[in-house]
Amino acid sequence: MIPEFVHAGFPILSALIIVPMIAAAIVFALNEKMAKPVSIFTSAVVFVISSYLLLIYDPSGYKIQFYEKYQWIPQFGISYEVGVDALSLTMLWLTALAFFVSFIWSTNIEKRIKEYFIAFLILEAACIGVFVAWDLVAFYVFWEVMLIPMFLIIGIWGYAERLYAATKFFIYTFFGSLFLLIGVIGMYIYNFYTNGVLSTSYFDLLNVKLPHNLELIFFLLLALGFAVKVPMWPFHTWLPAAHVQAPTAGSVILAAVLLKMGTYGFVRFNLPWFPEASKYFMPVMFALGVIAIIYTAMMAIAQTHIKRLIAYSSVSHMGFVTIGTFALNQEGVNGAIITMISHGLTSGALFLAAGFIYERLHSYEMKDLGGMAKFVPVFATLFMISAMASAGLPGLSGFVGEFLVLLGTFKVSVLTATLAGLSLIVGAAYTLWLYKKTMFEEELLSEERIKEYEHLKDLNKAELWSFLPFVIFMFVIGLYPNWWINLINTTSQFVLHKIVGG
Amino acid sequence: MMSIIQQIVSGLGTPNFFVLMPEIIITTTALLLLVVELFTKNKNLLSTLAILGLGLAIISIFFIQQGDITLFGLYIVDTFSLWFKFMILITSIIIFAVFNPYIESKRTFYGENYYLMLFAILGMMIMVSSPNLVTFYIGLELMSVSIYILVGLWKRDYKSKEGAFKYLIIGGAGTAIISYAIALIYGRTGSFDFIRIASEIQDKADIGVLGGLLLLIVGLALKASAVPFHFWTPDAYESALTPITAFMGGVVKLATYAAIVRVIIGAFPFSEEIWAYGWAILAAASMIIGNFVALRQKDVKRMLAYSSIAHTGYIVGALASGNIIGFQALIFYSLVYVFMAIGGFIFLAAFEKNEGWTNHIDDFKGLAKKHPIMALYMLILMFSMLGIPPTAGFMGKFGVFIALISANVWWLAVVLVITSIVSAGYYLKIVANMYMHDPADDRRFYLTPMEKSVIAFLSIITLLLGIYPAIFWDISNLLTQSLVMVSIAR
Repeated sequence: MIPEFVHAGFPILSALIIVPMIAAAIVFALNEKMAKPVSIFTSAVVFVISSYLLLIYDPSGYKIQFYEKYQWIPQFGISYEVGVDALSLTMLWLTALAFFVSFIWSTNIEKRIKEYFIAFLILEAACIGVFVAWDLVAFYVFWEVMLIPMFLIIGIWGYAERLYAATKFFIYTFFGSLFLLIGVIGMYIYNFYTNGVLSTSYFDLLNVKLPHNLELIFFLLLALGFAVKVPMWPFHTWLPAAHVQAPTAGSVILAAVLLKMGTYGFVRFNLPWFPEASKYFMPVMFALGVIAIIYTAMMAIAQTHIKRLIAYSSVSHMGFVTIGTFALNQEGVNGAIITMISHGLTSGALFLAAGFIYERLHSYEMKDLGGMAKFVPVFATLFMISAMASAGLPGLSGFVGEFLVLLGTFKVSVLTATLAGLSLIVGAAYTLWLYKKTMFEEELLSEERIKEYEHLKDLNKAELWSFLPFVIFMFVIGLYPNWWINLINTTSQFVLHKIVGG
Repeated sequence: MMSIIQQIVSGLGTPNFFVLMPEIIITTTALLLLVVELFTKNKNLLSTLAILGLGLAIISIFFIQQGDITLFGLYIVDTFSLWFKFMILITSIIIFAVFNPYIESKRTFYGENYYLMLFAILGMMIMVSSPNLVTFYIGLELMSVSIYILVGLWKRDYKSKEGAFKYLIIGGAGTAIISYAIALIYGRTGSFDFIRIASEIQDKADIGVLGGLLLLIVGLALKASAVPFHFWTPDAYESALTPITAFMGGVVKLATYAAIVRVIIGAFPFSEEIWAYGWAILAAASMIIGNFVALRQKDVKRMLAYSSIAHTGYIVGALASGNIIGFQALIFYSLVYVFMAIGGFIFLAAFEKNEGWTNHIDDFKGLAKKHPIMALYMLILMFSMLGIPPTAGFMGKFGVFIALISANVWWLAVVLVITSIVSAGYYLKIVANMYMHDPADDRRFYLTPMEKSVIAFLSIITLLLGIYPAIFWDISNLLTQSLVMVSIAR
């Protein structure tokens, strides 16, 4: 099935990639004071444009919209090819939102302000590129470019162990992505030998009819690349380290955007390209997903460092996305995509909350925290909403995705669905534990602490405005999920078309 | 009564000297420098003369419209050799441009530097345009002997002598091996000429050819510093004057890779199953040893020397595919690698001029604060060597991957992947030291504007070639075709 291409009149997606880069150059040329306003303005423009694209996207029928294609390296049939379907578009929108929020939040960066914003702007361009690229080499280039600014962000503006965390992050991801590259090149060569087509375009590689063994090998090569990024158990160990050490805005981007790239890769590449292998490996992926959900949820309960707790909860949520994806039915894939969006919002908000707490109390350790709620009511409310959305309270975004995932999984494997469903309880437990340990237990506070707390300031304007978008969209998705499901329906049909024969 | 020369000329016709213009200019300049150096100690005069000669040679390349086989079949001027000569000359100019401030700061002036480098360049030019094992051998020797001396030219430095001596001994052994290989091949085929050898052997390689070819590969591997024949490299690279190291690590490497392709495609086009295995094993060993040992180095110059060994592994690894894509990948990678390698060493050379800079990895701490722009250039170079897009290094590795996978050499592709990840350990350490540590003191370093612009040029071109590599792929394509054409046409 070759989808219809709706060419863009104006190269709007390329503009979205280029604008942050130009902004980075401008920031480089200007002085430090201008860095922040320019960055916020740029990311606001990007966010507005991507929201506009989200609204004018035509969800009836599977079409690649705002499509552009230019020759890049003709000798190898490599082109620069961008376009969006609903999956790309929602991820693009999430990226734009997360960066917008991160820039607003980044008020109190003291060292190397210019470099900070330049790194984030380049990161934004690369992340957008990953989600809109349809040429595999272009995809890979964006995928890897993103490593450089993220490495610097963790390594320069992080906390004490930042160097270790940054290097670990880089090497893990680099490890996975090189196998991804080999897999892609293997597909490309095979396509050339069998069909005589020299192309790295997604749609040309979609037509490759692979022999069974080769399909399994390529599936594993690509899956290795994506699994490190997701991260799936047992490749997740870089994530807590990176999250704990990264600055708040870095954590937000890491959780809201970077983790999505792995699951995006599974949905985008592994399912349509390797339908048989996807079926073949379904039990393995279910097992890994369930282990991720349960094991990391248990790990999360055991943490006393609040950022590490949220990091483990991310791995757990990503486990849901994995099993939803490999349920290989409409509900599962829809649920996976919705969970991706929702997790972007909730984990972003939770990391903002952790950042807020650190700003005020200068600690991430639970033993130094607690009893804040009364003194910072607005923050406590927003934090509560985010935590509830993360735990999957109906009416908020987390519930929709997880419900659909469980529904889809239930059709395929009752055992998996049951285990994953049970872990929702653990999920609620650690989220509430986190909230209780940081916000409640006022009675345990000493007199001095209470005096200290009386000087606590609630959310300032920048913090409020970075929280609000996340929280608003948690409600939007939670209360009116139909619009979103309609949006992605045709895309998930396309993703599954080889599997269910559509 | 005719003289012997007249007899030869009347029998064979006058050689076409016009296509030898670049070589003639370089020889003249070298001889001129040899004489001028006796009378003057003016470094600027000497290097200006050298650059002038190189520039003229480059210009003369553009006048050569038509390739030719000249000197009675002993010398070939084709697209391949012209392009590589162009690259060799351009990159040599870069090195001459930053040479003087360095030797001034080290107080180790020897006038011999200039003409020895030119003779080495001449040797490389002969190497890349040899259609014949004898010409090839002469070029190789001219280059090697000049470089043995260049390595040892650091006045009052014990290490420099040690490195030169080691290089001389091992390089001499390499020369002996190559001459033995040539003898064996001659004994089997009765010719030194690549084409004759190729047509004589066809795909029927007997024990004599096998021995000759393997010895030839060993000798070439030694010159290209592939493991296990790499032992001279770290010492020679570390002990030479750093611009000379840049010369060896960049220009000489480029010429050596070019010569390897030339000999392999020219003389043994049908024995690919032999040399593909040979190069594959050498490549794998180089990647593994080069990267793992580099990981333990504290001296960045030595680290880059090992990185250069690893890159030899990546580059000759392309030959393991034994097909056209492999040749293209090799040519592309070697053309882009020369910029990175020279960039890295010149960066060190520029900083080494200052008191208190020892090339130790800790010297890089906080460099991004003191010299933000220079640190950014080094970051680009390091990520390019690591192979992260959008730099040229990635495109090089990408080509090698395509070549290896197209020939089903999966195991080497996996070795390449794993060793690349290992290499992240030391390249990232340099970047991390520059960006993620605070400087120990606020001493700034002095760099000449020329050094700054040269490093800027090298790193920016590395970036540009990664973003838009199509032109260089075209060139590699063209050069491969030119080589293959020659070996088929005659």
